[in-house]
Amino acid sequence: MNLLSFAVKNIKRRKGRTLLTIAGVAIAVAILFSLLSFSAGYERELTREMDSLGFHLLAVPKGCPYEATTLILHGGVIPKYLTNEDLVRARATEGVVIAAPMLLQQVIKDGIPHIVYGIEPAVMLPLKPAWKVDGRFFTENETRVMVIGSTLAEKENLAPGSVIPFGPSQEQYTIIGVLQPTGSEDDNFHFLPLADAQRAFGKEGLITAIAVKADDVKHIPAIAENLEKVPDIQVVTMAQVTGTIMNLVGSARSLLFSVIVIAIVISAAGITNTLLMSVNERTREIGMMKAIGASGYHIAILLITETLLITTIGGIVGILAALAGSGIIEAFVRGMVPYAPSGSFVSFDPFLIGSCLLFSIGLGLLCGLYPAWKSARLSPMEAIRGEWE
Amino acid sequence: MNIIEATGICKTYRRGREEVCALSGVNLTIEEGEFVSIVGPSGAGKTALMNILGCLDTPTSGMLMIDGMPVNGKGEAELVKIRREHIGFVFQQFFLIPTLTVGENIGLPLLFSGTPFKSETIESLLEKVGLLHRTDHLPGQLSGGEMQRVAIARALVNNPRILLADEPTGNLDSVTADGIYQLFEDLHRQGITVIVVTHNRELALRAGRVITIRDGCVVAGI
Repeated sequence: MNLLSFAVKNIKRRKGRTLLTIAGVAIAVAILFSLLSFSAGYERELTREMDSLGFHLLAVPKGCPYEATTLILHGGVIPKYLTNEDLVRARATEGVVIAAPMLLQQVIKDGIPHIVYGIEPAVMLPLKPAWKVDGRFFTENETRVMVIGSTLAEKENLAPGSVIPFGPSQEQYTIIGVLQPTGSEDDNFHFLPLADAQRAFGKEGLITAIAVKADDVKHIPAIAENLEKVPDIQVVTMAQVTGTIMNLVGSARSLLFSVIVIAIVISAAGITNTLLMSVNERTREIGMMKAIGASGYHIAILLITETLLITTIGGIVGILAALAGSGIIEAFVRGMVPYAPSGSFVSFDPFLIGSCLLFSIGLGLLCGLYPAWKSARLSPMEAIRGEWE
Repeated sequence: MNIIEATGICKTYRRGREEVCALSGVNLTIEEGEFVSIVGPSGAGKTALMNILGCLDTPTSGMLMIDGMPVNGKGEAELVKIRREHIGFVFQQFFLIPTLTVGENIGLPLLFSGTPFKSETIESLLEKVGLLHRTDHLPGQLSGGEMQRVAIARALVNNPRILLADEPTGNLDSVTADGIYQLFEDLHRQGITVIVVTHNRELALRAGRVITIRDGCVVAGI
C-alpha cells in the first residue's frame, strides 16, 4: 500500500459524492476545452474560407463597404451598381491579374430567396480552381443556361438537363451543370453568364462587384488605393473582412468566456466544499492518523492527492466528452456568432488537450490547498475528540 | 529504568471564559515493562493525562521524560517522531479505515514512518493477535473484539516500547473485554510497557499497578 492507493480508496468511500464532483470538474473542463478549441478553429476556418474565395479584394459601389461585402459573400443584394467602365479601369490598374465582374440578383421562389450570380466564366473559373462541375460550365455568350450549387440542386431536385422557369419573366432555363460540393456558400447559388443575367434582370451594363486578384499580396494596398481613385468605387480587402469578423466574434467570445469563468468558479467552490466536508467527516480519523505517526505534511499530501485524482479524472472525462459532443457545442456556438465559416471548428489539438489537463491539475491544487492546510494543522488530540473549529 | 517520568504536570484549558484545570501537579513514574491501569471518575483528568503521556498534547507546566528524553517545549513535528517511534495507540472507537483491509490497516503507520510494507511483519502481528485468517477482510466484516485486536496490531507495527490504550474495552462486552486484557497481559510478558485508561475497576485490577486519579491529582498508585 502507498499514499496513492490509500487516496484512491479514500475517494471511493463516498462514490456518489466523488462522481458528482468529477462531473462538476468534467463540465467545466469540457466547456473550457470546447471554447478554446472553437476559438482557434474559428480563426483557422475563417482564414481558410477567405483564402478559398480566390480573390484578394472586392471593389464595390460606395456605401457601406463591409455590409456590402458580407452581403456579397453570403449572397445578398445591394441596390447600387458599378459599370463596365469601372471594370475596364480595374483591369487596367497595375498589379491586377484578374478582375472578375459579378452581378448579384435575388429571386423569390416559394417564399425562399434565391441568389443569382452573373459571372464571366473566363475570369471567374481561374479564381475558383476548386470548382468541379457535373455536366459542363457555360461559355460567355450562351443564354438561358445555368450552373447551380450542389445544395441547391439537392433541395430543388435538379440535375444537369433539367429545365426550369427562371427570372423576372419566367424564361425557360436549362441547367447544364451542377457544382460538386465546395463546403462554402457557393453551394446555394445560381450561376448565369454575366451578359445573360444583365439581360434577364434588365441591368444591362451594370455589375454589383468586382473581385480582384493581385499578382502579389504585397501589392494589395497599392491596388486598393489606385482603385479608390475612381469616385464610385470603394475597396474592401479580404484581410479587412477577416479582421472585422474576428472583432464581431470577439464580443461573442468574451461573453462565452465569462460563462466559462463562472462555471469554473462554481466548480472550484464545489470541489473545495466537498473536500472540506470530507475532511470534516474524517476529523477523528485524521486525529488517529496523527496519533499513529502521520505528520501534518502526510495529511496535506494525502488530501491534495485525493483532490488531484478527482480533478484529473474530471479533466480527462471533460476533454473526452467535449471531443465526443463537439458537434452539439459547435451548433450552439454557430448560433451565437454573426458569421460562421463552413468548416468544423473543433480539432484534436494535443497542445490544447495538454493545457486543459494542466488546468484541471491546477484547479485541484488550488481547491485542495485550503482543506489540506486546515487539516494539517489540526491538533491530534482535538481531532480525536472530533473538535473542528 | 523509568520509561516515563512526569514531574509536576499541570494542564489548564479554556472553556469559553472559564479556565479549567484538568491536571494539577501530577507526579508519576512508570518503569519499562510495567502494566499500569489509570482509573478514576469521569472528568478526573484520565484522558488529559493519557494525552500528555502519549505526546498528543503538551502540558501547561511540568516536566515529562519519555525514554530518558525530555519532551517539554517540543513542537508538533518532533512530537510526531516521538509518537511514531516510541508509542502505540489504541482507542475506544478502534478507528479502523473502512476501505482498507485488515492487513492494510495494520500497515498504515508504516506509510507515515516510511518503512517498507512487508507482509511477513503484518502476518506475524496478526498471528500475535490471533487473526491470521482475517488478513484480507474489511473492518466491516469483523466483530468489535476483532476490530480492537486489529487496532492493537496496528499500534505495534512500528515496534513501540509503550502501548497506550484509552478505554480499549469501552465498546466491548465483558467476554470480549477479557480477551483484550489477556492480549495486553501477553504483550506485557513480552516486555512492552502497557498503560490502560479505564472506567472498569475489575479489569483495572488485572494490571500490575493501578493509578487512581481524582480532580487532576494522582491519589493512589504512585
